[in-house]
Amino acid sequence: MHLQLSPQAELTDVHVDVQRTSVLRGLDLVVAAGEVLGLIGANGSGKSTLLNVLATLIPPVAGTVQVRGPVALLGHAPALYSQLTLRENLQFVARMTGRDDAVADAALATVGLAAAADRRADRCSHGMRRRADLARVFVTKPSLLLLDEVHTGLDVTSAALVDHVVDGVRRRGGACVVVSHDRDQVARLTDRVVELAAGRVAPAVVA
Amino acid sequence: MTAWRQLVEIARKDLRLEARSGEALLVTTPFGAVALLFVPLAVGTDTPLLRGIGPGLYWVVVLLFGLLVTLRTSAVDTPPQIALLRLCGVHSVVRLAGRAAASALLLLAFELLLVPVAVALYDPAPHGWPWLLVVLPLVAAGLGLLGTLAGALAQGLDGRTTLGPVLVLPLAVPLLLGATQAPAAAALGHAPWPWLLLMLTVDLIAALALLLGAPHLEEVA
Amino acid sequence: MTLFGRRLPIIAAVLLAVGLVAGLVAPPDRIQGNLQRLMYVHVPAAWLAFLGFAITFGASLAWLWRRKPRYDRLAASAAEVGVFFTGLAIVLGSVWGKPVWGVWWTWDPRLVTTALMFFVYLGYLALRRATLDPLVRARRAAVFGVLAFVQVPIVHMSVLWWRSLHQPPTVLKPGDPTIDHSMLAALLVNVLAFTAVFALFVRARVRLAVAQDEEDTLPGPLAGDVVTAPRLEGVSRDE
Repeated sequence: MHLQLSPQAELTDVHVDVQRTSVLRGLDLVVAAGEVLGLIGANGSGKSTLLNVLATLIPPVAGTVQVRGPVALLGHAPALYSQLTLRENLQFVARMTGRDDAVADAALATVGLAAAADRRADRCSHGMRRRADLARVFVTKPSLLLLDEVHTGLDVTSAALVDHVVDGVRRRGGACVVVSHDRDQVARLTDRVVELAAGRVAPAVVA
Repeated sequence: MTAWRQLVEIARKDLRLEARSGEALLVTTPFGAVALLFVPLAVGTDTPLLRGIGPGLYWVVVLLFGLLVTLRTSAVDTPPQIALLRLCGVHSVVRLAGRAAASALLLLAFELLLVPVAVALYDPAPHGWPWLLVVLPLVAAGLGLLGTLAGALAQGLDGRTTLGPVLVLPLAVPLLLGATQAPAAAALGHAPWPWLLLMLTVDLIAALALLLGAPHLEEVA
Repeated sequence: MTLFGRRLPIIAAVLLAVGLVAGLVAPPDRIQGNLQRLMYVHVPAAWLAFLGFAITFGASLAWLWRRKPRYDRLAASAAEVGVFFTGLAIVLGSVWGKPVWGVWWTWDPRLVTTALMFFVYLGYLALRRATLDPLVRARRAAVFGVLAFVQVPIVHMSVLWWRSLHQPPTVLKPGDPTIDHSMLAALLVNVLAFTAVFALFVRARVRLAVAQDEEDTLPGPLAGDVVTAPRLEGVSRDE
């Protein structure tokens, strides 16, 4: 595995508070370019917060955050406008980032939703919405992809799609951070796993 | 140029959401019409009286219910949606300006839909009506900006549709006075320009507040 | 550090006592009689309402600039005390207005603006109460604290303008400019006394806010610490 010298993301002594509670305390983390990093931890240990920090959406109260983008964050809840069709949703993302509408259709075809492109998001199943959310990655082509428990509720083919997406980012020289409770999945998908506890990360041993 | 395109796309998306949900034009507008219908039932159906108070009532309904139009549910970005926009490189000012533009257009439609209702129910004197062509857009723009600001201030809070209007209503007072006085002044043969200027000033202050306040009001988590 | 401190309450009490005596000793108004003595509380209350909101404005600007929690606490405290004095000024004005003007309310621009400010700052306090996260609250409150004050002159001017077009009020206006010297002196003493009370209230409120902030952040539990292992043994056997 070839690791470049300049990291995709570097967090140094990061402290983050959310809603009066300290979540991250002096966290250090380097995500190398071309790396797929697994992130595990108990409920409430701050995994989602850490992803938001990596996405530079939550500023730290102390410490430095350096990230090379573009960044895509796929959270528990798909970021779709429920009254828009899947195509309109992806076209919106394409236009926001100055891309052609055709990119949206191609992305939907890639995730296997070409036939459902004109269906409103609120008339789609959870798995379909999840796939449509994944299609964003093919539109914005991020070099840092952050996945927050995206495997939840996915069938085997959809789960394979996640693997494909992650692999695509890695092959482009980007990096992924994958949060999951499924240790087998994390072990299979990632190069390295860290565990978040007491507001910091430590290397984790997974089966 | 990119920012402008983003703004247009956001406004278009908001209008499309409204077209699908119909909250502003199919729910709030009839509610406003009902308010116009209720007043004569309460104060009496004396035609000269209604003719006198008609324009004022129309504007009170437009301002109060118009803020509900700006605070419609489809004009709320969920945290994942805000995160998505931010990661697409959309500045908070662009996001809120796009919303304000869409709200202003909806408010204009809202105003125009209520005009025939007010005319039919109150039969107001038609003097000075051409000035409405200037007054209606000025109120729609100001209210759209103020409502967007209110929505951002009360985002994610319990009772946002009540708290939001309370926060920005005072700046709607000059709009109310201007909207009612400008056609009245014109009808009396006075130049309504000072009132229009006042409304324009309020619009500009609201735009400035949005410009300066938006970066402080965007929260993702 | 006590909530009210030691020297300021004494100073405020002495000034209030002097103010009370001055207000009672000053000659009654020729036309309004003893009713006019309400002025000795009404005018200071109105002044302190504006002082409170001006402090909130300044502290909000300072917070946006420096992001120090103490500016947020000052803004909140001054707004709370300001709302109290605004309410007092409006109620006293109404009580004074009824016998003098014959109505509880008149459409004087000052009254309209003051009433609007009362509701706006009630909204400010509601906004603070509804927001849990201290940073989010400070940010939104600061933006609104600036906007709330900046709009006062334009709202006031527009109402003033509107009134000037209509028939001016034919009622007696309080605060006749040709005010008796002893009345003016009594008024000044009372302004001073109530300003001391205002300072006392704001300082106490800031101290409360400091204590509250300390309590919220002191033990500093980590987010995950509140989640412990579930106790599974014996649960199903109890059935």
